[in-house]
Amino acid sequence: MRIIDVHTHPVFGNPADRVHLQRWVDHGRRHDIVHMIVLGDVLLYGATPNAEQLRKINDDTATAARMFPDYFTAFCYLNPLLGERATMAEAERCAAKPGFRGIKLEIANNASHSAMRHVAKAARAFHLPVLQHSWSTVNINDRKHQSDPEDTALFARRFPDVQIIMAHLTGIGFRGVLEAKDCPNLFVDTSGGFPEEGLIEFAVEHLGADRVLYGSDLPIRENSVTIGRILGANISAADRRKLLFTNTARLLKLTLN
Amino acid sequence: MLIDTNVNLGPWPFTPVPDRTGPALAAHLASNGIRRALVSHFGAVFLPEPMPANRKLFAAVRRSPALIPVPVINPALRNWREQLAECRDAAPLRAVKILPNYHRYKLGAAHLVPFMAALADAKLKLILNVRLEDERHKYFALRIKGVPVPELARFLGRFPRHHVLFAGIYKGEVEKLAPNFTNFSAEISFCETTNCLELMLPKFPARRLMLGTCTPLLSTRGEADKLRGARIPARAKTLIGAANARRFFNL
Repeated sequence: MRIIDVHTHPVFGNPADRVHLQRWVDHGRRHDIVHMIVLGDVLLYGATPNAEQLRKINDDTATAARMFPDYFTAFCYLNPLLGERATMAEAERCAAKPGFRGIKLEIANNASHSAMRHVAKAARAFHLPVLQHSWSTVNINDRKHQSDPEDTALFARRFPDVQIIMAHLTGIGFRGVLEAKDCPNLFVDTSGGFPEEGLIEFAVEHLGADRVLYGSDLPIRENSVTIGRILGANISAADRRKLLFTNTARLLKLTLN
Repeated sequence: MLIDTNVNLGPWPFTPVPDRTGPALAAHLASNGIRRALVSHFGAVFLPEPMPANRKLFAAVRRSPALIPVPVINPALRNWREQLAECRDAAPLRAVKILPNYHRYKLGAAHLVPFMAALADAKLKLILNVRLEDERHKYFALRIKGVPVPELARFLGRFPRHHVLFAGIYKGEVEKLAPNFTNFSAEISFCETTNCLELMLPKFPARRLMLGTCTPLLSTRGEADKLRGARIPARAKTLIGAANARRFFNL
């Protein structure tokens, strides 16, 4: 079965050179992953990178997409707290490069922050979906930086014309799925944490199979595990294909041979 | 053929996992390539005394030879000898399990000395459960962390003649203990990073790793595929997948 991984960080504490990247391409192909979405080395400079640091991270991401255009699609990493001008400028710079098809947000701010309107503006202007790092804050006391699924869902409700991916199904848990349920512009990726039983089925039941995307969080997690939890889930073969391939291909308008 | 060293029966109060019968569990494991499993009962985690759950365990696995019962003993309770004796009467035992963080005792506690001696006398292996869940995802009112590495180290140093299996241990925790202790093995359900086993083997020998899926809390297929998909020598896969467990538990 062909697989697209919507949540990877192949440039993660390593240089964006051909040898290193080729290793990840080979790794992915061994797991039937025909395409990866590169989200950048997002914590390289801490939670709130400045404009220059963002450019460096995005340039490394661009290198991956340029060297292996058939294998890597890039997302542009932004820090909304830098303001509208900086956000638009960096999004425009990335959108002009080949291979960029989305925006990535990490932990610069909570997704309910008013600065998110700059991101929404960029997403609309350049027709890019936004992947927002999300995790339940029930046991993580850092709501200033961490976006609870409630916050990411609020972001999606405020900007219903922007397509948003709530990252980390395992991190957002059952409550996160329910937060996303009434937001048709909100998707969930399956990355994050150990392969907790029942979550895939719950997400498909409540969101529909069209709004759940396979993601691994490589190199933090093990692809055989993250794929195995979907292959072993009690869902139909047609739904499995949607999760593992079709949904991301459609959302990002990828045409893969 | 795979042997799974970390499986539970019974409901878990904080997440909707399947509450299977013994035969249904055996069939589920078999459908994932697992032919034998060491099984405990979740009830023993939270009950004030684990025996009601252990009795359910013995009853559930009676007609499922693929499921090897591993009762939970709480050595912090005054009746731990009675717990152990009743379990030994109920079925031929290979091992018992302890849950120090859920049963609220330290691994330096005095009662562990006679307990470990009793296990040695009975030729029983010990599975020490380090954690059952990712601490970030616990029920909000359940503030129980994994057993800390210094505690595990203290335990290993205290009982150097006992070889114990740590279940639910993180890769990083294995690697912290590895340089100083040879008297433990590790079950791999909570060891995860990209190319996990490939990265672990240079630091920790395959003969001391054992497959565990933490079924039903984690995806059985996903955890079994961790081993199946690993780029490690076939010999190491055989050891981790079954041979080590067979040897350690004398199966």
